[in-house]
Amino acid sequence: MLEVIKPGLETSVQDYLGRRGHLNLGFPWSGAMDSWSFRLANILVGNEGGAAGLECQFIGPTLKMHNDTVIAVTGADMNPKVDGQPILMWESVALSAGQVLELTFAKTGARSYIAVSGGVDCPAFLGSSSTFHKAGIGGIEGHAIQIGQMIPVSDGDGVAGRRVKESVRPQISTDKSWHIEVVRGPNDDWIDEAGHERFLTTPWKLSAKSDRSGFRLEGPDWSFTEKALNKRPEHGSDPANIIDQGYPVGGINLAGQTPIILVSDGPSMGGFINPYTVPQCAFWKLGQSKPSEHYQFQIISVDEAQEKAREITALCGESSIV
Amino acid sequence: MIYPEPKCSPGGDRFMLIEFGDELTLELNFFSQSLARATADQSIKGIVETAPCFSSLLVHYEPDEIRFDDLRREMLHLAGSLGAAEDVEVESRLLYFPAVYLDPWTADAMAEYRDKINPDKESDPEFITQLNGLDDVAQFVRVHSGSEYWCAALGFWPGTPFLMPLDPRCRLTAPKYNPPRTFTPRGTIGMGGGSTAIYPVDGPGGYQIFARTPVPIWDAQQRLPEFESQLWLLQPTDRIKFVPCSVEEFNEIERKVEEGSYVLNITGYQKVSLKSYKNWTDQLDISTRF
Repeated sequence: MLEVIKPGLETSVQDYLGRRGHLNLGFPWSGAMDSWSFRLANILVGNEGGAAGLECQFIGPTLKMHNDTVIAVTGADMNPKVDGQPILMWESVALSAGQVLELTFAKTGARSYIAVSGGVDCPAFLGSSSTFHKAGIGGIEGHAIQIGQMIPVSDGDGVAGRRVKESVRPQISTDKSWHIEVVRGPNDDWIDEAGHERFLTTPWKLSAKSDRSGFRLEGPDWSFTEKALNKRPEHGSDPANIIDQGYPVGGINLAGQTPIILVSDGPSMGGFINPYTVPQCAFWKLGQSKPSEHYQFQIISVDEAQEKAREITALCGESSIV
Repeated sequence: MIYPEPKCSPGGDRFMLIEFGDELTLELNFFSQSLARATADQSIKGIVETAPCFSSLLVHYEPDEIRFDDLRREMLHLAGSLGAAEDVEVESRLLYFPAVYLDPWTADAMAEYRDKINPDKESDPEFITQLNGLDDVAQFVRVHSGSEYWCAALGFWPGTPFLMPLDPRCRLTAPKYNPPRTFTPRGTIGMGGGSTAIYPVDGPGGYQIFARTPVPIWDAQQRLPEFESQLWLLQPTDRIKFVPCSVEEFNEIERKVEEGSYVLNITGYQKVSLKSYKNWTDQLDISTRF
């Protein structure tokens, strides 16, 4: 058991793959946003890569161990300490009952992951422990962890001193700018050539009005093709309006003139176009970027996006550990 | 129109969107739903889940098990093999939802939007009234509440219905908010494009709003028996009829919901077929309004 001394800004139980298979009921996938760091944290402590752990956003929690255990911290650097002494990230660490793990502000990156040997043990909802706090489901009582709560953990057989090779860790940007891969579509034919050109040449600023549902982007206006401007009224009259449709996870959703990347807790359907989609291989970068940082988007093909996801998955295993 | 061949587009590395046409019709939704059912029945290797909406189907696939091009071929083949939708008969529940039209709560949400985001935003019901050439907001209420609504899909948020009016004389259209609202009260009824929705919880939203129902469609507290086995009420193929009520009735129903004694008004034995629907709509004068 872990006792929550300080919850951090919004620390929640997540797993990987999340709650997949229920988009047709309106349930988002949820799950860890930077699943690369998340899976490696689990591998370090001897868990399956997808086991339930904690996602810490911007400010991490302070947790008191109630059992001897092994933990690992990956992702954003929140200056993790045990009983006031700094510990290494990307390495499994043995903790004794009574010891206190403390994370603070993210120095680099935005989301830190804490894996505990055995994994967090909370009841699954529709097959996943991931918290979707807007609907109050999954995780601990459906919400981010709260002060005084006890987080149950299953028995594990983790070993201290295991480390992730430097070369296989995600490289978190330190210059406040990110290259984000995008795949064209599904509604790319609603945007004219000038609009596409503007999208791909502009550094888009991540708005502070962003969360696990949507990442709002600030940048120039979009321009449209005839298909968007001259259409049947049931689409809605604004150029970005379309008859409500399923949204791909990662869709860059054009709400009027505001692009919003639909991330892990995003809506599964709606009536705005998605001219581009951020593939899974770039989700870790979304998860590690902070408001006011900039995105430069780069087009890749469906095949390239799938290959890059496979490359990341290949790194999330025992071969990455020394 | 219904496209001669469904249009398949990629959505990143794991999705394909299949569009069947660009209209809000029962026929296109029957087709989307039938293809979703057929996909589940066929258990095509590599398909993780599908999400049908009004006139499209989103497919989530596992790229390690099926390639995009192969998926497209399989789905087009399956779509081509579906029988005529005309003869399909679908079980359809009819649910009555008391609703306060032109209610004080959505009026407050509009006022908040004007204060915080866009001072020039017109009142939503008046805007829809003008846009659709209706005489006044009273006629808008008559028209909007004059039809049964077909639940074409669930999505956006858990259990949220996407609804279309079955009576062609009640078709209305409106643009979505630009930018979206940050607050909409639970139970709000709104519309965008040609679609109507009910908001299951407080939250942001993009539809024009004009009414509110006290009947829950999502209940994490499971106060009513309908929510014991699942937290959401509706399913595609349901029909909903909004019954205008007063603020006093709303408050009384809300109180009963809260104490778990409200009895939902659901009719469960009816069927809908495209053939009988078309026989009815073909003889209507759709230029008339209520």
